[in-house]
Amino acid sequence: MAGPALPSSPASTPESLTETGSSLLFPLFGTWTTAYQKQFVNSSKQPIVTITTGSTGSGIGLADAATGTVNIGASDAYLSSADTVKYPGLLNIALAISAQQINYNLPGVKNLKLNGTVLAEIYSGKITTWNNPAIKKLNPGVSLPAMKIVTLHRADGSGDTFLFTSYLNAQDPSLWSSSNVNTTVSWPPAPGALAETGNSGMVSGCAANKGCIAYIGISYLSKTQAAGLGTASIANKSGAFLQPTPATISAEASSFTASTPSNEAISMINGPSANGYPIVNYEYAIVKTSQDNATQAEDIRAFLHWVVHTGQDATTYLDPVDFQPLPASVVTKSDALISKIGS
Amino acid sequence: MARQAPALPADGGAGIPLSRRLGRLLSGDATARRVGFAFALLPAVALAFVLITLLVKALPAFGFNGLSFFTKSVWNVGGYSSAVTKTGGVEHLQGQQFGVLAEVVGTLVSSAIALIVAVPVSVGAALFIVERLPRQLANLVGAFLELLAGVPSVIIGLWGALTFGPFIAKDIAPAIANHMPDVPVLSYFRGATGAGLGELVSGLVLAVMVIPIVAATSRDLIRQVPILPREGAIALGMSDAQTARRVTLPWVGSGILGAIVLGLGRALGETMAVAMTCGFALGAVPGNIYGAMSTIAATVVFQLDQAFSDPSGFEIRTLAELAVVLMVITLATNVLAALLVRRVSGTALPVGRGL
Repeated sequence: MAGPALPSSPASTPESLTETGSSLLFPLFGTWTTAYQKQFVNSSKQPIVTITTGSTGSGIGLADAATGTVNIGASDAYLSSADTVKYPGLLNIALAISAQQINYNLPGVKNLKLNGTVLAEIYSGKITTWNNPAIKKLNPGVSLPAMKIVTLHRADGSGDTFLFTSYLNAQDPSLWSSSNVNTTVSWPPAPGALAETGNSGMVSGCAANKGCIAYIGISYLSKTQAAGLGTASIANKSGAFLQPTPATISAEASSFTASTPSNEAISMINGPSANGYPIVNYEYAIVKTSQDNATQAEDIRAFLHWVVHTGQDATTYLDPVDFQPLPASVVTKSDALISKIGS
Repeated sequence: MARQAPALPADGGAGIPLSRRLGRLLSGDATARRVGFAFALLPAVALAFVLITLLVKALPAFGFNGLSFFTKSVWNVGGYSSAVTKTGGVEHLQGQQFGVLAEVVGTLVSSAIALIVAVPVSVGAALFIVERLPRQLANLVGAFLELLAGVPSVIIGLWGALTFGPFIAKDIAPAIANHMPDVPVLSYFRGATGAGLGELVSGLVLAVMVIPIVAATSRDLIRQVPILPREGAIALGMSDAQTARRVTLPWVGSGILGAIVLGLGRALGETMAVAMTCGFALGAVPGNIYGAMSTIAATVVFQLDQAFSDPSGFEIRTLAELAVVLMVITLATNVLAALLVRRVSGTALPVGRGL
């Protein structure tokens, strides 16, 4: 099918666009905008479109895009059904594929296996030590210390909390109810639970506390490895324990390409793929369909179109943050949404 | 009689540079009074503006959250897939429920710890600086005290979270926790000592921020106590401690109480340093003094981003209600302090005057 007609370069008049939101997407957005501003310059080598980016949090990204404070909001989560009712003119456009790692600080223990039931029991304080029979059962032959478990969770509202609690709920709805799935949740009282701010807080907090367990965005992979944290193999729907690798993340994402609806609002947690890593998500741009003027709308279309095509290049843009490119059919769906941006 | 400014010429001063024209306008008596009045009114208007916007935002939350807002500890923002519904005309997400007992308790307890530590240290330090240190050293110590008061709270918070908290958790807290007898009140100091982010560390970090305020103010007050009454007390055979307790401190007692309330105000509203050191356990009343907790200010900071993504806007209203609660607590302490100051100064002053 032929893609909708989208501008491949910005309008010639100088324009400045603004972006704010997800801290997970922020570094990638920075490399995208830098490259874009370098590629499209006027005769005096000045960028035609300047894009200011900000790392404020997915919630602010959504709110600012909805009110028109910024042109593009960045979010780790798609718009909820209540959001779409409240802001009918708001789009969530998939830009890249991210994943979440489950990290732990247990010296000497490699390739720990965990599933949603055990994680839910750990995070609700039912399992409190690492040598608990339920963990032993998943890890035969691994010597687990009688160490207390320190559960880390995010203090600030976070897309990562949403992904993690979605996984717990998808794997074991009886232990983790759907009403406790959100970017902030009421954590059950687990002994030794600690709250950290931001992914970097999770990394340093886990490094400082032996016996910790934490959920951290895949873009922090190099930092968790540098901090000496282990990455757990996580059970997917068919019971296979997998590490978050480019292959397993792409396998999970591609099993959702057909079911991704035209508005691209879909949870990719605990998917059907037998060799897919179970905690995977789209990163979104939140954009209003009615922008201030036609030139601005055209420039936003051109930039986002560039992002879902040129910006998907793995070595230049995605590999440094360990994101995966969108499958071709999802790019088409994103383009269709981008073409709806007008004035 | 105020100096009369030269009046502007009939043409309004055309030809005179603007800056000089403005200067003449302002030095006119009536105009100056009017401008001064407007400027003087500005703080009151700003306060009224903040209060009114806050109340307008918070009012629907007061209705929906009801009394259980103050008697329960729950922070349920509703599920991600919940729908927006209306209860009693207030839009909210299904399943939302808020109760901030834990945050109110956390705010009060951490401030109380701060005062328990800071007040004796500050008043003692102020007495020592004025009465014992040689003038030059006193000036040096005083300068450092004022520098400490000016350190941005985020820096104190960082020090608390990275250095002071882990030090307390590793080297101090276990010794206390293991040797405290298991009797009521003291048993609150027993048990797991955590990783250094919690109630005790927040309180101590707050104390570090309160000490310079109370100490510097007390020092200035104690300096004003005349030497004669003190010499009289010594002549009567009072020891240094007795002189301080019976003459020096009562002389400025109400002022010191004012300084303590100033410090308490700082502790109650302090946001950044506490946010960084409290461990942020939303809705949790810690089981012992080392446990993670949250305060009102920290909750507003950490929940703001989440609240923005609430399509019903109700969580923003709840945060506004929380802000009103903090405002009321701060105002109440100030009123209480004003009453106390009046009572204390009534009984205390004759002691000094009589000497």
